[in-house]
Amino acid sequence: MSIKKISKDEFRLVVDKLIGKGNVFGVKSKGDKFDYGQLESSKELRLDYDVTLQPPKKYFQPPVETLVTYQGQGNYNSQYDCEKFVLIGVHPYDMIAINQMDILFSQDNYDSHYFARRNNATIVACDVVNASQNVFASSMNTAVVKDGFDVLLTDIGDSYIAEAATQKGEELLALAQKAGEATKDDLHKRQAVWDKNKKELNKHQLNCSVTYLPKLLERAYNNPIWEEKAKTCFSCGSCNQVCPTCYCFNVQDDVNWDLKSGKRERAWDGCLLDGFTKVAGNHEFRNNRADRFRHRLYRKGKYVPSKIGGQIACVGCGRCIGACLPDIANPVNVYNKLIDDIGII
Amino acid sequence: MSKPKIAIFDFACCEGCQLQIVNLEEEILDLLGVADVVEWREAMSEKSDQYDIAIVEGSITRPEDEERVKKIRSRAKILIALGACATMGGVNKLKNNFELDDVKKCVYKQDANKPHLSTALTKAVDEVVNVDFKVHGCPIDRKEFTYIVRSLLLGKTPEIPDYPVCVECKAKGNPCLWEYGQVCLGPIIRAGCGARCPSSGFRCFGCRGYVDNPNVDAAKDVIEKYNLNIDDLKTKMVLFGSTQEPTL
Repeated sequence: MSIKKISKDEFRLVVDKLIGKGNVFGVKSKGDKFDYGQLESSKELRLDYDVTLQPPKKYFQPPVETLVTYQGQGNYNSQYDCEKFVLIGVHPYDMIAINQMDILFSQDNYDSHYFARRNNATIVACDVVNASQNVFASSMNTAVVKDGFDVLLTDIGDSYIAEAATQKGEELLALAQKAGEATKDDLHKRQAVWDKNKKELNKHQLNCSVTYLPKLLERAYNNPIWEEKAKTCFSCGSCNQVCPTCYCFNVQDDVNWDLKSGKRERAWDGCLLDGFTKVAGNHEFRNNRADRFRHRLYRKGKYVPSKIGGQIACVGCGRCIGACLPDIANPVNVYNKLIDDIGII
Repeated sequence: MSKPKIAIFDFACCEGCQLQIVNLEEEILDLLGVADVVEWREAMSEKSDQYDIAIVEGSITRPEDEERVKKIRSRAKILIALGACATMGGVNKLKNNFELDDVKKCVYKQDANKPHLSTALTKAVDEVVNVDFKVHGCPIDRKEFTYIVRSLLLGKTPEIPDYPVCVECKAKGNPCLWEYGQVCLGPIIRAGCGARCPSSGFRCFGCRGYVDNPNVDAAKDVIEKYNLNIDDLKTKMVLFGSTQEPTL
């Protein structure tokens, strides 16, 4: 696969060509922040962004989607509403989150709705240029990414180094007619960006190796920290909603006026929300705020890792820290407090 | 099977929630296809004492209204409270924070002592009679209303959100208004509106009422974090969150 050096102007031309051909989503400014959105022109693209309000998961698992329409008497149709699209500007930590989703949605019941979108996507990842206020990807080993993308862009000043990782990526790079092969010197510059990001995307320092977290949590289930932190938890689920690795959903039917036909929709859910664990008969097995608060940290540090080969399901984007009004969501603060409390054995 | 009979009644309110039902436009024909509307003052002249589902809009502010809503309750199999005035007293409950005589003088000036203006403390419908389902909001959300009606016609319990507005606000990708100096009630108010106000840049006013288990202590903490006074929060909460007792 090729590794090219593309001038920034040339890359803009590539983006405009892509916009001319189909749906292109990328990072744009939104007030004084950034978020993903449909690109109308390459001028809108902001690859110097620090972090987006939402992670890119909405392009693979929308906040609400129709899974099935039914006509009654056993007749139904699965709904796949998606076209080919290009997603530009995915930071390494978000790319790693998507890679984790790819594993999770292929396990147990293969999720055809997720993969219909995933397979339609061409992802252009890009290395971080400006660290956000709360990023801790360096602590989580997610500051750089090696796979999952179709193209990886690295800003080396006046140009990008663009590496194609798939056939789709090669086709995209072929649009950059003036781009040449990257030289050894260019690759050194890229390596320097990676080395820097591995150290400096770290506004919160985790005081243990990330791989130790499942073991730490094994001994922390009854720690007082859960009650203490949850005292000021709104149970608003903001931490879940902005998390690139929160993928839980709720499914509900909405019947039409004939009271026979209708649609079955799924929507984002969140383990912090009251009612998340409510089941038939009005039973609720995580009724307590502290239980729900603990559950999120256990999902990220212990439960999900056991399903995806030990990878920690917190990628250090820091969005939950910014989204939490009472400022209790920071996973690093919780894990570090536990280390202070019960030590590393 | 005959179609279920629906009757719609109004008490103290602006009747804007009924207007949302009128505004269903074509969908109103769908509603009439599966149910008979036998009384609805805002839209028709017929009246009836025979109905299965009573939809009650407005708050209860006079002793004679209490009697009337009790009668409605005794006739209906299902009673639905429609809109913020009915579900929690709404804006009308603001007056409970003051002396009733002062309130009357403030609003009606020299006419304050006319007998028909004599009212009691404002009550939500469920402070007088048992309410089976609530359609929240000021005004109600039409989609939610029709969803609730269809669910009831099917014999299904409708799923009404018991999580805060933040859920829908974050799903829309909105930045948090607290960061821009607004005392938004989103973290303690029931979702279901699609975070309509915050999505337009206005803080949540709380028209759908608190979630079942709001964390008011956390709200106090956040007020401190943003260097605001607790009164900044309280004065926002009384608009839709007033009670029988003075809340200010």
